[in-house]
Amino acid sequence: MTHAKTDAPKPPAPPVPPPTAIARDQAGCGSYRPLTPAILDALRAIVGPAHVIAGDPEKLEAYSHDEVAEREYAHMPDCAVRPGSAAEIAAILKLANRERVPVTPRGAGSGLSGGAVPVCGGIVLLSDRLNKVLEFDRDNLTITVEPGLVTNEINPLVREAGLFFAGYPMSLESCYVGGNVAENAGGGKAVKYGVTGRYVTGLEVVTPTGEIVTLGGKLSKDVTGYNLIQLMVGSEGTLGIFTKVTLKLMPLPKASVDLLVLFPSPETAIAAVPRIIAGGGVIPTAVEFMDRTSFTASCEYLNETLDYRQAGAMLLITVDGTSAREVEAAYEAVGEQCLKAGAIEVFVADNHTTSERVWKIRRNVAEAFKVRSPRQSLEDIVVPIAAIPAMVGGLLEIARRWDIEIPCYGHAGDGNLHATPVMNPAWTEGEWHDKLPRILEDIFRLTASLGGTLTGEHGIGHKRLPWMGLFCSPAHLAMMRAIKVALDPNLILNPGKVVPPGPAGFPVE
Amino acid sequence: MRYLIPIKQVPETNAVKMDEATGTMIREGVEAIINPLDLYALELGLRLRERTGGEVVVLTMGPPKAMEALREAVAMGADSAVLLSDKGFAGSDTWATSLALAAAIRKLGAYDLVICGERATDGDTGQVGPGIAAWLDLPLISYVAGVTGLTPRAIQARRLVEEGYEELEMDLPGLITVVKEAADPRLPTLRGKQRAKGLAIPVWGCDDLGLTQAQRGLAASPTRVVKIFRPKITRQVHLVRAPDAAAAAAAAAELAAWLRQRNVLPAPGGRKEAGHGA
Repeated sequence: MTHAKTDAPKPPAPPVPPPTAIARDQAGCGSYRPLTPAILDALRAIVGPAHVIAGDPEKLEAYSHDEVAEREYAHMPDCAVRPGSAAEIAAILKLANRERVPVTPRGAGSGLSGGAVPVCGGIVLLSDRLNKVLEFDRDNLTITVEPGLVTNEINPLVREAGLFFAGYPMSLESCYVGGNVAENAGGGKAVKYGVTGRYVTGLEVVTPTGEIVTLGGKLSKDVTGYNLIQLMVGSEGTLGIFTKVTLKLMPLPKASVDLLVLFPSPETAIAAVPRIIAGGGVIPTAVEFMDRTSFTASCEYLNETLDYRQAGAMLLITVDGTSAREVEAAYEAVGEQCLKAGAIEVFVADNHTTSERVWKIRRNVAEAFKVRSPRQSLEDIVVPIAAIPAMVGGLLEIARRWDIEIPCYGHAGDGNLHATPVMNPAWTEGEWHDKLPRILEDIFRLTASLGGTLTGEHGIGHKRLPWMGLFCSPAHLAMMRAIKVALDPNLILNPGKVVPPGPAGFPVE
Repeated sequence: MRYLIPIKQVPETNAVKMDEATGTMIREGVEAIINPLDLYALELGLRLRERTGGEVVVLTMGPPKAMEALREAVAMGADSAVLLSDKGFAGSDTWATSLALAAAIRKLGAYDLVICGERATDGDTGQVGPGIAAWLDLPLISYVAGVTGLTPRAIQARRLVEEGYEELEMDLPGLITVVKEAADPRLPTLRGKQRAKGLAIPVWGCDDLGLTQAQRGLAASPTRVVKIFRPKITRQVHLVRAPDAAAAAAAAAELAAWLRQRNVLPAPGGRKEAGHGA
């Protein structure tokens, strides 16, 4: 193993505050002003009284959290507003700057890092009214939509034109386009198709100070100044609020086949990945990895009787293409490379039923562990592909040391692993909350030592804010703070997220 | 031992559409798979072959496209396959289909056990397996949940019945139809797929099977589809109101009486069992 050995757990460590408390502290929530009745009236005047939710804790509770399950990541907003246009959003932001009230934008709330949680309270800005398809441009192969459109609604619209939107996250049934762009969402098809950002060619953005700016358009090339579109992509609602998104569309694949490949070890499985691409000459749509802990739990949960006793790791590989013949040649090439790399068996799923069967194993890993233990922390680390076996080995060591299970599964083709510490069911909640930050620190230090990073597609939010310093140098963080302050001098948009304050807080001009 | 497994290609379960004008299933342009219930028959055949040695032969009757189903079965491990495909087979009901499959089985020569799925997910009759047994004058065990013993002369099987299981023994050659419990199907493998692609699969028509005009297709099918329609689902609401807490007991009693009338609740005193078993 090439990585430095992580330190043994230091016995008497000080208690670690929960991430929301850290984020509130770092965001300086106390420096914002309270949301007064007068501000509420002003908001009602902007969006209409029906679109301001305030004074109703039951309704507001829904906007206090995202899909991060633990309640200590949640925080109640003071109100939620549902603007119907960019002009209304601009007016809200101008008001918020004037009154020094924080604003947290929210998509569908399917995020996995707390990005939509209003850690300082204030205003949650809902995008569900902005859910229209503005233009499907067949000649330029683009679609322009509002941020609150459910991502899943794009493909049925463009399918008859032989096109599809390829930046597809796993939560595609619920998530919004705006959230996908804000998080630069990835998902299962990123090996071949990349992540959301690759498809964003134009944005209309309301800046944190309430200006409406158009960036890019329907262009495939554009170096007119700094690449502000890609600065906005993945900015997690801290640098601007999207009101229009133009997405590039791709030709719809006509056929697709999944291979479930059993390997004796993570090493053999991962060694197959570059061989598939270089030797097989194929870029698969997906290359998903599952370690033994993951697939055993999932197969037992699903009563899947496939013979996996000899397997130490599995790859789930999807190839797609424009014809059944092309895909057949591609999957044969991929399968042959896997066998050359030492695969025990290559299963082929080329219809909906068998494809569902193999993908179920991958999709139910998290669910299977929920049955075993009530608490888990879904992580999203990325390492260089060749470092995956070292990471898997290191995770086993960390799991042994802390007496827990850490299933490791995810997008092997991207080196993006959802290593997920699962609470030892014998522990109390208190023990878990005390130990989890230290377990995570062990995992993240190992990740960093392997040249990896903290998150590949779920984002920082406030869940991962405490660990930014492990992965970004002080100068790197200072650049991010400078950008944040330049665009949002009053720190109005989504405070407590992505960028931690420096030794002197956030720099002031 | 030699195992013969008749299978059927059916529309992908999530893609079934009916043409209400003609009363037939729309099969054009719809993804087709091996009837899921036939996969249990195939898997059982493959496992028995692994135990006893021998050969698994799959056969199907259908349009040329049904060749895909046979190749899938070979990819899972079947040794060889035969496709019965001929315009003369068009319009076959379960009578004509079982007759044609029986003729093909005769033509295939000696065999020990014919294994069928319980029924097909499209036609849903469950008649073809027993029909083949009838035409071939074979003993039959239907609804087999597992094979408990097998010798060259006899098979012991657990048969799923409403109250539990029957343990039966049957002389061979014979025919069984199997239920889901019989065996969880395996997935096709890459090597299997490659073998299936290269395998020559014979296509037999009506003349190869020696079927007379009266024995083929529509002419040999007594079934007539008179009408096909979507059943109307009606819901009748019976609302029992309890405006306040005092009225709740009377309302609950009225509701219970209404449910008893419809046999949703057991009659008081006439209870057969105390609640639902574990």
